[in-house]
Amino acid sequence: MRQTKGRGAFIFCCVAPAIALFVIFMIVPTIDVFRMSLYKWGGYTANKTFVGLKNFKTLLGSEKFIRSFQNQILLIVIVTIVTMTLALVFAAILTREKIKGQNFFRVVFYIPNILSVVIISAIFSAIYDPNQGLLNSILGIFRGDKDPILWLGSQKIVIYSIVIAMIWQAVGYYMVMYMASMSAVSESLYESADLEGAGKVTQFFQITLPLIWTNIRTTLTFFVISTINMSFLFVKAMTNGGPDSASHVFLSYMYQEAYTNSSYGYGMAIGAVVFTFSFALSAILNAVTKRDPIEL
Amino acid sequence: MKKKLLSALLSVAMVASLLVGCGGTTTEAPAEEATTEAPAEEATTEEAAQVVKVAAVETAYGAEIWTKVAAEFEAATGIKVELTVDKNLEDVISPDMKAGNFPDVIMRAVGAESGLTETFIKDNNLVDLTDVMDLTVPGEDVTVADKMLGGFTSNTITQPYGDGKIYLMPMFYSPCGLFYNAGLFAEKDWEVPTTWDEMWALGDKAAEEGIALFTYPTAGYFDAFLYALMHEAFGDNFADVLQYGEGAWETAEAEAIFAILDKLADYTEVTTPANANDDNFQKNQQLVLDNKALFMPNGNWVIGEMAEAPRADGFEWGFTALPAVTTGGERASYAWFEQVWMPGPAANVEAGKQFIAFLYSDVAAAIFAEKGAIQPINGLADTLEGDAKIYYSIYDTGAVAVLDAFAATESIEGTTIRGTFCDPINSLVSGDKTIDDWKAQIIKDNDTFRANLKQQ
Repeated sequence: MRQTKGRGAFIFCCVAPAIALFVIFMIVPTIDVFRMSLYKWGGYTANKTFVGLKNFKTLLGSEKFIRSFQNQILLIVIVTIVTMTLALVFAAILTREKIKGQNFFRVVFYIPNILSVVIISAIFSAIYDPNQGLLNSILGIFRGDKDPILWLGSQKIVIYSIVIAMIWQAVGYYMVMYMASMSAVSESLYESADLEGAGKVTQFFQITLPLIWTNIRTTLTFFVISTINMSFLFVKAMTNGGPDSASHVFLSYMYQEAYTNSSYGYGMAIGAVVFTFSFALSAILNAVTKRDPIEL
Repeated sequence: MKKKLLSALLSVAMVASLLVGCGGTTTEAPAEEATTEAPAEEATTEEAAQVVKVAAVETAYGAEIWTKVAAEFEAATGIKVELTVDKNLEDVISPDMKAGNFPDVIMRAVGAESGLTETFIKDNNLVDLTDVMDLTVPGEDVTVADKMLGGFTSNTITQPYGDGKIYLMPMFYSPCGLFYNAGLFAEKDWEVPTTWDEMWALGDKAAEEGIALFTYPTAGYFDAFLYALMHEAFGDNFADVLQYGEGAWETAEAEAIFAILDKLADYTEVTTPANANDDNFQKNQQLVLDNKALFMPNGNWVIGEMAEAPRADGFEWGFTALPAVTTGGERASYAWFEQVWMPGPAANVEAGKQFIAFLYSDVAAAIFAEKGAIQPINGLADTLEGDAKIYYSIYDTGAVAVLDAFAATESIEGTTIRGTFCDPINSLVSGDKTIDDWKAQIIKDNDTFRANLKQQ
């Protein structure tokens, strides 16, 4: 009895520092975000005014917030689907097929992930330049010089321009992740499938996908959360929400309100919505992608 | 037993290290207090040991001007200056301010992206600087008021609450107007338009040669442009419009402004909105240097900004006030100026005011002017030479100087002056909004601003 008590004390002492740090640096600030969202506060003075749920009410009636919400969901959906598909296809090709320069492609696909977002946005600013940009120059061959496409200037296109940059940046990283788990799939499965007469596509859907499903599930949750974070960096560096607030996403809008419009409390209200949203989204994703793991 | 003792020892060590870790921060705070208190105590016994904490943003004029002026101030008054100069001033001083340590004097203009100055105005968190005007400039025998150019302290920026009290002191100013390639105008034998009608005629002429009439660096540059245009169009009602007067934007004068903006958008170089962001705005400025666009609204800092840029043969900077709305009407140029102010919780109020007064001394003005930073001091513009003289003498040649800005409001969640009055120009040029959409937005937001007008 005395021994288990001692053991309990030991475990408590081991875990206490981590718990304390977690509470101080994670739980308390998170609760603080929710608390601050109930105040009107400029950010510098001591006088905070309690306004209850007014910030949330303003938020729901705000055209700009709804627009940034739409942009964010568009980004999450398109970037996730396209990136995941491309990463899976590339990974399958690079692991299953014998093609020349396999390692070269592996490196090339991974490079964007090493670059910082600021460099990527500089690269894409050059690509998207309406006059001398790569994209318009190539398209110019087919459609002539008339009316250059304003990739970052037209409100209908700007969000897709950001989508392209984000996909370009993310594909390599997830490709490497999937390649790792695909190479762990036993070769004998493919051999027997070959003998049974299954084609490459069937093999991909019947063998590869089910066997790396746990990996896809984990990365999917990762990916959705990181898209919310990364889209802030891309928007901030490429357009700063412009033109005319057309490309704002959750966090860039929150940043603008909290740090440039003297509305810190309102910014925190946006933060609270983002927190709840991403939490709920992860939970939903986790639930709908749940499958019984396949053990071999 | 031995094992147990060891584990107990280990766990005690672990908990102890955690406590030490936390303890470190708690013991640090009093130590810091002690250091800040010490000079204050000395100050009571010895006048010479006074301190003033100054935080200034580093702009195109460089950081050196501040170290030089601080040294001169110390020599003149014996008050020690603790200087913080940084390009990202907010990032440097904000953590300290959140912890309650405020600089005594802050040099940061309204209109910065961070909205630092606006936040202090909206929070009523400024020291009243009206009496600085009556202070004798340290080292001289005249008062600050004697030296100040007229108008600079009696506008809605320096008196944000409209109660006759000055809370922000004007510093470096730049005339803003339209910049163009004077060489091109000479070559083509074009006249610089004096009215908007002449402007459109010139636009048609230039279009035949494949040159657009207008471009702008970013939508943010429309604040100076719009204030000048509003002053021309609204005339005596200008002050009322800045106070978000009821129905101010549903008048004939407002219609004239909307008509000009609508037409201007048609004459704007089509790729402008695509580069109208903080990364690429220089590409829009380059359009003027390359003779692809004739005019852009800007301030004289653009000359330094584009100093290294390639340019068309025979390029020469030209600068003009806005064309008049009616023939023979007023032509206005916005005088953009930076401000120096004291946050409400400043500890060394008297020393801070002394420092601000010293900024208007001949010694300080000469240090600033050497780097091109010109203060609104009587007679200072006359001493300028070369290009600078052209810009600063614009008000001597008939243009009206506009100094005011929209009145301060409480912070309004989701609505900003820039979002209402500047950003939509991008939508107008790209065709995503019509002038009627913009007008409706201004009329609606004008009511919101009025409802939240700052009451002191």
